[in-house]
Amino acid sequence: MVTSSSRQSRPRRLQNALAAAGVSAALVAAGPGLAGRAFADGSTAGSGSGAGKTLRVAMDGSGVDTLNPFTAYFNGALDLFGGIYPTLTTIDDAGKSAPYLAKSWKLSDDHLTWTFQIADGLKWSDGQPLTAEDAAWTLNLIMTDDVAGTANGTLVANFESVTAPDATTLVVKTKQPQSNLDYISIPVSGIPIVPKHVWEAHTKDLKDFKNESTPVVGYGPWVLTEFKTGEYAKLDANKTFLLGAPKYDHLIEQIYKETDAAVAALKAGQLDYIEGVNATQFKTLQGASGVQTAQAVGNGWFGLELNAGAKTRTGKPIGTGNPALADPVLRKAIALAVDKKTLVAKVLDGQGQVAEGYLPPAWPQWSWKPADDQLSKFDPAAANKLLDDAGYKAGSDGVRVDPKTSKPLNLRLGIHSDDTQDAAVSNYLVSWFKAIGINATIQPMSMSALNSDLGKGNWDMLMDAWTTGPDPTYLLGIQSCGTLPNDDGSGGNTDSFFCDADYDKLFAQQSTIFDPAERAKVVGQMQEILYQGNSNIMFYNSTHKIAANAKVSGLLTGTKDANGFYPAQSSFWSYLKAAPAAEAAGSSGKDGGSGAGLWIGVIVAVVVVGGGGVLVLRRRSGADDRE
Amino acid sequence: MSSPRYLVTKLAAAAVSFAVTLVIGFVLFNLMPADPVRTMTRGRPTSEAELGRLRVQLGLDKPLWERFLDFVNDTLHGRLGYSWQYQQSVASLTMHRLGPTLLLMGTAFAISVALGLWLGVRSGWRAGSLFDRITSATALTLWSVPTFWLGMILLIVFSVGIGPIHGFLPAGGMSDPTLPQTGIEHYADVAKHLVLPALTMVLVVYAQYVTIMRASIIEEIGSPYLLTARAKGLTDAVVRRRHAVPNALLPSVTMIFLHLGGLISGAVAVEAIFSWPGLGELTYEALKIPDLPLLQGTFIVFSASVIIMNLLADLAYRALDPRVRAS
Repeated sequence: MVTSSSRQSRPRRLQNALAAAGVSAALVAAGPGLAGRAFADGSTAGSGSGAGKTLRVAMDGSGVDTLNPFTAYFNGALDLFGGIYPTLTTIDDAGKSAPYLAKSWKLSDDHLTWTFQIADGLKWSDGQPLTAEDAAWTLNLIMTDDVAGTANGTLVANFESVTAPDATTLVVKTKQPQSNLDYISIPVSGIPIVPKHVWEAHTKDLKDFKNESTPVVGYGPWVLTEFKTGEYAKLDANKTFLLGAPKYDHLIEQIYKETDAAVAALKAGQLDYIEGVNATQFKTLQGASGVQTAQAVGNGWFGLELNAGAKTRTGKPIGTGNPALADPVLRKAIALAVDKKTLVAKVLDGQGQVAEGYLPPAWPQWSWKPADDQLSKFDPAAANKLLDDAGYKAGSDGVRVDPKTSKPLNLRLGIHSDDTQDAAVSNYLVSWFKAIGINATIQPMSMSALNSDLGKGNWDMLMDAWTTGPDPTYLLGIQSCGTLPNDDGSGGNTDSFFCDADYDKLFAQQSTIFDPAERAKVVGQMQEILYQGNSNIMFYNSTHKIAANAKVSGLLTGTKDANGFYPAQSSFWSYLKAAPAAEAAGSSGKDGGSGAGLWIGVIVAVVVVGGGGVLVLRRRSGADDRE
Repeated sequence: MSSPRYLVTKLAAAAVSFAVTLVIGFVLFNLMPADPVRTMTRGRPTSEAELGRLRVQLGLDKPLWERFLDFVNDTLHGRLGYSWQYQQSVASLTMHRLGPTLLLMGTAFAISVALGLWLGVRSGWRAGSLFDRITSATALTLWSVPTFWLGMILLIVFSVGIGPIHGFLPAGGMSDPTLPQTGIEHYADVAKHLVLPALTMVLVVYAQYVTIMRASIIEEIGSPYLLTARAKGLTDAVVRRRHAVPNALLPSVTMIFLHLGGLISGAVAVEAIFSWPGLGELTYEALKIPDLPLLQGTFIVFSASVIIMNLLADLAYRALDPRVRAS
């Protein structure tokens, strides 16, 4: 195992022979050298990827689109970057920004200049010094180069300049005050800082540079030592990591395209950790032996969007949305018709919370709840009364008629065809809407077809879900008028064609408020406007479900709330803090069992095949005799 | 028809098929209602300017005819376009995935053909016997089972285990990352990973060969030439092997070639369940965005493979069956 080819970067089978030769040569030539160079003090696992304890986790099902952090979008890739590239700050248990590369930071009185003190004496995995200049170079490249800005350009759009006056000082000047600046470079969802001395040579071919040459030069809790596209990534621990050394010596992120297969692998002891399983899978794991489970409060919402009249930026109506939904009374009635508690109980099996506010409970600093008198409680009778009073008379078939157009209330309900939650929830919705005289027709669509219709305004109701990191700016932004499309239908990234002048004013305001409590208040007012608009009706915040081999400890941070849910967890901290139980020899849990299984399987196979063969032969000889 | 003329006719027909495929492939995927840029950037903070830039980068701002010309040009140059999501040429992506797919599908195909034909001959020869009834019933049952369901059941039984019996086969992937990736141990490891996906494929497809071979044998069984063979005093086994089987094989040959052409398209369901890094799974991923160049590229490769295999089947038929030559 010690001699394993941890540097094989071209993954596919056809190339195995070629790669094998190349890898052996590379190992002979560079193996010891690389190990020696891996870390400045040489104290880490340089003995290859086999020795020591390995944590095997399931990679996000999206996999890795590219290892180039400037252009990658897929969550699998972002998770990896969180482990192998540093960021300016990180997130603490409370979801607040905390030191990482930056030991501390301060803001100028005019709120335009941020000065970060970068930790001293850090080294990239190839031994070169890691300084403020690397951070300045990375951010400048994203600001000035279109390709470099592919994935994270938006995060630096408000930057005026970024400089590194000395090795430990980074100065960021912004065009307008920007209160979320300490969140733009956090692990996983923020900007990863890359080593200037490696990437300088690739600024010209940045679009085509795949960054697959291992070990990938970086800095973080882990070093990427082997990567097979579509299969797995292998990482070695950085035992001198600034925020504490990982307890495991190696990390393997393996791709399972079906979560059911990952669940099976966890039960079989072939995997140590998975997250993001659904309610049914979680239930089976809760009863499985040798498996521990936990739920963390959700970082996303699941709900329904109503097309209250899709318009372009200049106010020109577009799309085929039913005009009846422009009536706030109808939208309010729809909100009252939904029994969110039943959805949590039946669809989520209790693994979640009823949602009212737009921002999820994972980030309690932004949480907002409507006052009791504003709350849209499940009340079909009240919904019916609202509609009766507004003149929506029921036709002979029970479907109400829009008084303005005299057309029956037939509404399309677009759902994601590959999403079981959408399917389950939409069936409830159809019956609840029927009870208030609305005829909803479920239209399952692929994700891309649904997105396409959304942008063109060709929809009435859509099931939607979003997640967010600790900074809510983007999620709040997609509800602002500025994201509406142009008159020709181009541009725009609006989520529901919601557009409200007061909301936009508060959106601009919150980005310039630097007192967290003050900002939270404004963000709360924005959520109140969204809540009353009923264009985005939040149903629930599903918990983030985690399951791990019982032999892994230290995975979870924080303490459980009244519901038994942990605070939001991040893969960055989970992998870093996970620790092997002392007695566990390696990560696989059922080594003895698998041997036994093999033998039993072989014996059963022999008996079946042998017995069957005898039966057939006897039958045949009998048949020949009969002829 | 003379041989060279026959060959030219068939080649021309194949070329026409390919040209039509190019047009269909392009039109089909470009008619799909989709906004790839929005889907790709979903959940990421992406400003409108950035979305616009991405659309230009992907060539989505060009008129349809220009995109078609680009596509034809790329195809004829063997580049097959540039994948939007993986940001590399479709040709290289396809090449990388070809190995695992051919390994899985080739293994499953070889076993299915061998097993299916063998069982088909036996069943047909003694049609109505207990062996025939068991074989046919089992094959048809497995044929009608959904691949995905069967795969999951096999995965749970042989990977997780049932009750006190632990599973012993890997739940997914093509190799164990903790083992060396070269040498005998690696090949044994890949073989171990191959068992469940290949078994699933075999169980689902072998019935086709059983039924077609069985039917052909039953058709031949009453033929006078078999009576002559028996009259010569040949044993039952020899009559079957030397006389009946060669004549009954033709329909199976057509099917074998048809399936050979479809081999590289992989099996989306099996590759997805067992996380097998093949072409079927790549196509499935491409559909989600949709990554049009990747879809078009794989579509062209799959179609070309079917067209070539059909061409070979035509030529093989001519070699195998004198009646085709005579017509």
